[in-house]
Amino acid sequence: MDGAVLHLGSGKPTMTEDDTLAARGVPSAKGQARKPLIKLDRLSKHYGNHTVLDGIDLEVMPGEVLAIIGPSGSGKSTLLRCINYLEPPDGGHVSIGDISLNAAAPAGRSELSTLRRSVGMVFQSFNLFPHMTVLRNVSLAQERVLGRSRKSADERSMQLLKRVGLADKAEQYPGRCSGGQQQRIAIARALALDPEVMLFDEPTSALDPELGLEVLAVMRELAETGMTMIVVTHEMSFAENVSDTVMIMADGKIIEKGPSADVMRNPQQERTKRFLRAVHDR
Amino acid sequence: MSTVDLFAILRGLPWTVALTLGAFLAGAVLGVPLVAARQSRILPLRFLAMVFIQIVRGIPPILWLFIIFFGLGMSVFPISPFNAALAGLGLIAAANMAEIYRGALASIHFGQWEASSALNLGRWHTLTDVVAPQAFRVALPSAASYLIGLMKETAVASTIGVSELAFQGNQLSQLTFRGLEVFALVGMFYILLSLPVAWLSRVADGYLQAKVAR
Repeated sequence: MDGAVLHLGSGKPTMTEDDTLAARGVPSAKGQARKPLIKLDRLSKHYGNHTVLDGIDLEVMPGEVLAIIGPSGSGKSTLLRCINYLEPPDGGHVSIGDISLNAAAPAGRSELSTLRRSVGMVFQSFNLFPHMTVLRNVSLAQERVLGRSRKSADERSMQLLKRVGLADKAEQYPGRCSGGQQQRIAIARALALDPEVMLFDEPTSALDPELGLEVLAVMRELAETGMTMIVVTHEMSFAENVSDTVMIMADGKIIEKGPSADVMRNPQQERTKRFLRAVHDR
Repeated sequence: MSTVDLFAILRGLPWTVALTLGAFLAGAVLGVPLVAARQSRILPLRFLAMVFIQIVRGIPPILWLFIIFFGLGMSVFPISPFNAALAGLGLIAAANMAEIYRGALASIHFGQWEASSALNLGRWHTLTDVVAPQAFRVALPSAASYLIGLMKETAVASTIGVSELAFQGNQLSQLTFRGLEVFALVGMFYILLSLPVAWLSRVADGYLQAKVAR
């Protein structure tokens, strides 16, 4: 039904400009009816008596780039890690595409595997495998998870390494690469499994500003190709200029969420204003 | 000291080598399921492995050999001195290797496990492709120094009549009344045996370290 409207409107059956525009926050009558790619429903997480996530409701559209900002300890990273069950949430639902997991029930191995197959993740500390060459780092999961042959996996890896500007590092070990290079390799490694959504957990926080820039450039390019991204970050310019939507978290709750320009330039909530003021005053 | 004496001691050499390698191999292999049980999610299994390791390591090796050879060997099933020593030292090696493996596993950064989970590698491939190769490198120096320790430990097998180096030395010193020379020679053989192990371990470590230099 949704698809039919799109066909009439654009004459093209695939993802069109409309989708991208809608995802970029441009209002569109057709955009309203589209299905979110990710849906979190009353998601909660506790450590003992401490509530880390307090009933998070969230929808992310295909092609949307969502930046999550907020003070440390606000639950940003935990939220990200609950989406691919690196930390299993203990209440609510996680839906990605057609998969839906109920956090109240223990997740089965095959369910988890299906969920994780559609999610790529990039960590603050890169977490590359130090005992493998850069090429093996990117190829390994393609062979083990997608069952690709060594040859076709390596071909795909070289493509991705070229895309992040590191084809010449293929035969090096990660230890020989700078932090910024390692993070770009980590992005290539996650992309190699053709995920539907990419999660970034403070991807530039362990890098000096210059090296951070080369990582941000890769992320910006990725956003422009229409990848759905959720980015936990302290990079305000990324939140303002690259992401479509910005969400502010504090104390395990969503304080404010909206189109990035609105939230960053004209925040409504007092807590948001205080946080952004603190960031700008530094 | 005559060449005849030297040959008498040399006769012990193959037994020492066989006992050392046999016990180490048994320990290196059996240590794997033991550490798996020790790290298992199933509490009773974990507990059992912990108790087993504690008991094996808590009793002196010489006592283990007595228990197996004189205790079990004389009453339950007949066992040759060599096999009794192999079983006892293999058991002890398994417990010690399990602890070495455990330390090596603990040294692997949790980010490696997380990245593997995020890549959906699954438990088997996470272990065989990511964790084990890194843990192996960490375990190598401790395992090598344990191998040298074990080689010296095999001397206790002389107490139950395995004719290894120390046993031959003891025999010879009683025959010739030249204990100092005999045991100095025996000691030299132990040192000669430990040298290639130490050297190999250093070469392997250097090679692996150069490969993954951070």
